Amino acid sequence: MTTLAADLRAFAAAVRKELRTVRRYPTQWMGLIFWPVLLPASYVLMGQAFSGSDARSIAAFAERSGTAEVAGFVFVGFAMYMWLSTILWGPGTALRTEQMRGSLEAVFLTPTSRLVALFGPPAAALPTLVITFVVMGAAMWLIFGVALPLDGVLRSLVVVAFALPALYAIGALFAAGVLRFGEIGPIVQLIRGVFVLTCGITFPVLMLPGWAQTLAWVLPPTYIVQDIRAVLLRGLGLGDIAGDIAITVGLSALLAAFAIATFRVLERSARRNGMLGRY
Amino acid sequence: MNELRAALAIARKDLRTLSRYKWSMFGMVFTPLYQGVIPAFLFGTAFAVGGRVVGLESAIGTENLSGFIFMGGVMAGLIATTFWFIAMSLRWEMDMGTLEPTWLTPTRHDTILIGRTIYGLAIFIAGQIILFAVGLAFFDLRFSGDIILALPAMLVAVLAMLGVAFLLAGIVLVIREANFFIDCTNFLFGVVSGVSFPITFLPGVIQPLALLLPTTYAMDLLRQQAIGARPLFDPALEYLGLALTTLLILPFGRWVFARAEHSMRVRGTLGQY
Repeated sequence: MTTLAADLRAFAAAVRKELRTVRRYPTQWMGLIFWPVLLPASYVLMGQAFSGSDARSIAAFAERSGTAEVAGFVFVGFAMYMWLSTILWGPGTALRTEQMRGSLEAVFLTPTSRLVALFGPPAAALPTLVITFVVMGAAMWLIFGVALPLDGVLRSLVVVAFALPALYAIGALFAAGVLRFGEIGPIVQLIRGVFVLTCGITFPVLMLPGWAQTLAWVLPPTYIVQDIRAVLLRGLGLGDIAGDIAITVGLSALLAAFAIATFRVLERSARRNGMLGRY
Repeated sequence: MNELRAALAIARKDLRTLSRYKWSMFGMVFTPLYQGVIPAFLFGTAFAVGGRVVGLESAIGTENLSGFIFMGGVMAGLIATTFWFIAMSLRWEMDMGTLEPTWLTPTRHDTILIGRTIYGLAIFIAGQIILFAVGLAFFDLRFSGDIILALPAMLVAVLAMLGVAFLLAGIVLVIREANFFIDCTNFLFGVVSGVSFPITFLPGVIQPLALLLPTTYAMDLLRQQAIGARPLFDPALEYLGLALTTLLILPFGRWVFARAEHSMRVRGTLGQY
């Protein structure tokens, strides 16, 4: 068996193990219905209060956000928020959980690629993420009457496919921090806060001060959420957002290279100072 | 007197523990800012016409967006303190394995929660002072000096939330793995109380539920005094609603807590993780 085939088998085993563990905690599944519906719904109602259903307010919002569809804007933003949360917490939490259980050292002693330990468990979150997006789409349609066009959904899947490497690179970068610091929860909270505030997730990027807008345009989630909104809510084609996709791919390559280098350096350091086995 | 000493000792111990986790302390201020106040403010500003949030003006009678959001933040903070710092603290004792020894001390069990309330309120007040300073410095936060007139309503609301804390602590003792429950109910309690938007924007079937919560009245009275928002009802009627709901929730919460505690002692689950 080639090394690649062996790693793929190990990857599948890691995903299967994680899915089996998740299945044992059924109460967590309730969150799949609760948060994707109520969190954005409360924001849409807030938008209704702020706009007062005044045509001038809605027009002002449309000018700043590119769409008059407030519910659609909010739901897509929160889908990005949940995706980001999963990505930021996923790989890091996977390593931290192994560290807390005392099995990280044992996992790193196996001949499998480090990518298995890093991305196997988060990959197991993909089915729940898909369910989350489906629930959000259904809630948007049934509660707020915003039906997403099928061709727009298909185009958004292409955007998602291009976005995956960038987001996983971000996740890997923060996971590397576990090898150096152990507990990275507060740092992840801080970084998620930066993304939430700068990437136009719950409000248009135009509302930010100039310096924050500059920061927003070097972060991949800004392009990803903007492009998903463009194809879903404005009916734009992939050709219209090709420039953004190219930038996302470029940023992904940079982030991935940085994440790999950081992970290697921190892993070497952790092996030297025995951090792998420490709780 | 001894009970008061015990409550203060519990609050002091918790504050000392918290002070060892600098990042957690930072998160307590930063999280409400990035998850609540700033996104809500910038989202609201996106609807502004010529610098004025005309929609909000027609909804509540004032276009003071930052005032509306920061006052909502006060009530959201009080609710979060009740849910996480007071009710959920028993779960943390369970996690650490110290709930049973704590329960065996001669201190009244109510006192343990009251100590947590003192600790929670200290954190709440410190957090609000910082948030208001940020609001005044960066978000054009404006409010009337009449905010002081809302103090009686806030004090009654604190008493009501103590009742809610007893009720929730009883539930936490029984269900044990309460993270998801506390997270969801905290969110719902805040939304239904009108911290994010006026309760008149809630779906019709949920609006009567809002009127059963003391925080709905306290929220409305606070916004009315601080930013001149149009009240839901006559203020005297709102004070009556606040007093009545407080008088109901306080004994009910204590009763549920006592029942849950008795049940745990009978079943021997107090020491179980």
